[in-house]
Amino acid sequence: METLTVQIWRGAETGSFASFSVPKRDNQTVLDVVTEIQQRQDQSISYRFACRVGVCGSCAMTVNGKPRWSCRTHISSLKSSVITIEPLKNMPRIKDLVTDMTGFFDKWGQAGNVFESDKTRQDAPAKVDPSSQQRKAANAAIECINCGVCYAACDVVSWNDEYLGPAALNRAWSLVNDERHTGKQDTLVAAMGAGGCSNCHSQGNCMTACPIGLSPTRSIAGLKKMSLFSLMGKQDG
Amino acid sequence: MTAFHGNEMEQIQTDILIIGTGGAGLFAALHAKQANPDLDVTLAVKGLVGKCGCTRMVQGGYNVALAAGDSVERHFMDTIVGGKWLPNQDLAWRLCETAVERINELENEVGCFFDRNPDGSLHQKAFAGQSFDRTVHKSDLTGIEIINRLMEKVWAADVNKLEEHRAIKLVRSADQSGIAGAVLIDMRSGKYRYVAAKAVMLATGAGPTMYRYHTPSGDKTCDGLNMALDLGLGLRDMEMVQFHPTGLLGGPDTRMTGTVLEEGLRGAGGYLLNGDKERFMFNYHDAGERATRDIVSRGIYQEMREGRTTSMGGVYISMAHLGADHVAKSFPGMVKRCKDCGFDLAGGLVEVVPTAHYMMGGITFNADASTTIDGLFAAGEDCGGVHGANRLGGNGVANSTVFGGIAGDSMAAYLKHNKSWRDADPNDLEQAIADAEYPFTKSGGDIFQLRQALAETMWEDVGVMRDQAGLDRGLATLETYADAINEMGISGQDHAFNMSWHEWLNLKSLIRISQAIALAARGRENSRGAHYREDFPDTGSLEDSANTVIHATDKGLTLSLEPVDFTIVKPGQSLIADDAGIPPPSAQHQQELIS
Repeated sequence: METLTVQIWRGAETGSFASFSVPKRDNQTVLDVVTEIQQRQDQSISYRFACRVGVCGSCAMTVNGKPRWSCRTHISSLKSSVITIEPLKNMPRIKDLVTDMTGFFDKWGQAGNVFESDKTRQDAPAKVDPSSQQRKAANAAIECINCGVCYAACDVVSWNDEYLGPAALNRAWSLVNDERHTGKQDTLVAAMGAGGCSNCHSQGNCMTACPIGLSPTRSIAGLKKMSLFSLMGKQDG
Repeated sequence: MTAFHGNEMEQIQTDILIIGTGGAGLFAALHAKQANPDLDVTLAVKGLVGKCGCTRMVQGGYNVALAAGDSVERHFMDTIVGGKWLPNQDLAWRLCETAVERINELENEVGCFFDRNPDGSLHQKAFAGQSFDRTVHKSDLTGIEIINRLMEKVWAADVNKLEEHRAIKLVRSADQSGIAGAVLIDMRSGKYRYVAAKAVMLATGAGPTMYRYHTPSGDKTCDGLNMALDLGLGLRDMEMVQFHPTGLLGGPDTRMTGTVLEEGLRGAGGYLLNGDKERFMFNYHDAGERATRDIVSRGIYQEMREGRTTSMGGVYISMAHLGADHVAKSFPGMVKRCKDCGFDLAGGLVEVVPTAHYMMGGITFNADASTTIDGLFAAGEDCGGVHGANRLGGNGVANSTVFGGIAGDSMAAYLKHNKSWRDADPNDLEQAIADAEYPFTKSGGDIFQLRQALAETMWEDVGVMRDQAGLDRGLATLETYADAINEMGISGQDHAFNMSWHEWLNLKSLIRISQAIALAARGRENSRGAHYREDFPDTGSLEDSANTVIHATDKGLTLSLEPVDFTIVKPGQSLIADDAGIPPPSAQHQQELIS
């Protein structure tokens, strides 16, 4: 039977790779390989997953050098019989493949990402034209599942600890285009603050890495433009 | 710090402890803080806040009577008829009534941006088993929008988060007057924590993951139900496990197996083909592939049982006759998911099987989310009674968010009159640690193989179609599993992020709740909704409907039957003029039947 050689990071900030041999199967994801090793070869390996289908954003890992969802990365797509699995970059390591995502979530909030509204549960929902430019812009960025893949792929995050990162700013772009959001100015100020959108170098790693094809790069460019108009005192577009 | 069995246990105090962070848990936290911002509220979850559980995985949407022509009465009647007259009517009414306020709250306060009609109002789509198009949604990823926005609100609120903390025991007060708190394992360090709380809420989301094919997320293993049994709470309608007809089939060694391919594929005209590549659903029902979940699941199961299967043992779903481009455009999420897993949904054949999806049964609770234990509240899939014998697609997320919010309100109100912590029963604390440490005292055995065996037994003997002989056999086999796990240990002594230890604990919960399901299924000698008995295929008298209730006693699990109290409508009566549960004529052609 064809086998895969799998190198898995063991330890935390310091550690080393452990090597395993796993049978190659027709239907096999990276998560399946890690699971098989834990269940049949080394019970002490730690990893994190929940939904199994690319909805929860819990299981991302660095696979052959790139951040990916382990649950939706088919082994055949790697085109290699040697697979190296490490925790996501740009996050503190807890154990083996598990990272601490707290900083990533904190920055999500620091980017001004809390919806504010003058309506309450006693009111009917606002009428929103589904074909408006604003709604389309909000929609284009809205399906992010906060998996941290773009954050791990971003070079700026790796050298600038303050940078809020692509996911948080992508959400801010969605929010400033949400015509129901009364805190638009606050969100914009937060998103263009010290760690904000101006730090982005538009290298597009986030866009390339995003498993669902979102473009935080485009969202951040939109924020930059909007903040420029805002600084010039004009009505933003 | 107090030592138990040589293990130190840190003790912390909070006003409200919420276990679980799906729609129910997050809503409870927000509502409790809104009612009284001074309350100290703590969320505990096996994974990360908002990333566990199944609210996030909701594809279809949220049932709510908003539009002209619809009404709470109509939504209620659809729920009762869909639930085959087994729902607790007060709970079902509360669901339908409060859904209106809750959807407005989700839109206006939480920030969910649901899809719109051209005139700007909320779009509501058709869903199976309903007499009105009332399902609010965000594309086909409604759950992501709901949980992402709830997460943002909870992150911004002053709520304590105990992430990767597993609850192992609900602790009674020393005087047995009510709840005192819960013992948790900090999964990262492996240390024990006792959280003393004036009110505790169970919102762990149950989840039928004991079946060979299942849809829920991996963290769900019925821990809440198991802890509730220990506390003396009754579990009702446990035989009611909903199977979704089209779970992806990828073989035994992949976690992709069992995950849902949405029902909209069948609604849009997808074919189901057996191993001989022949359509078969019209052999079972006039509606063919568009029949309801339970009927299609049984049709597929029958084909499988008669050996007309694909190479991996399921059937095919085929969409190509609708045009591959059209399919790719209509179902981009499903097509991409299949592609990532190595299958061509738009143009090829994808193997599918019925897959255990949702537990209608659960903890007996009240419309204010209280339980029979003073200070203990519960909401969401941990609870039974809202859906009866079958859950309508779109009533699941409505259930968790409606009753989650109510639980938050109720706990805040409860704390106005219950201002002190109860002293913990030291025996409960001792027992919690002793039970959790147990696998470290054993060695040998293969818990992963035992979980496989459990999955086979539940699928074969307590699954889509049941009979007395199978249920007897299943119960006898489950008994051997309950003994077997007690002889199995885990390798090593390291407690930190030890997933194999937690899998042992998972399996412990699953075996016991499997026994509850099998016992309830044997006790129900008729066929209703999700529960189908081949030896009792008739519905039985609706007027004499009864609910099964399981309790844990010194002698093991016991079953009783309790007559349904028709508090609002009796069988034969209705609150609406036309038929409930039947799609409106305009929707029958392009009916979408989504989870």
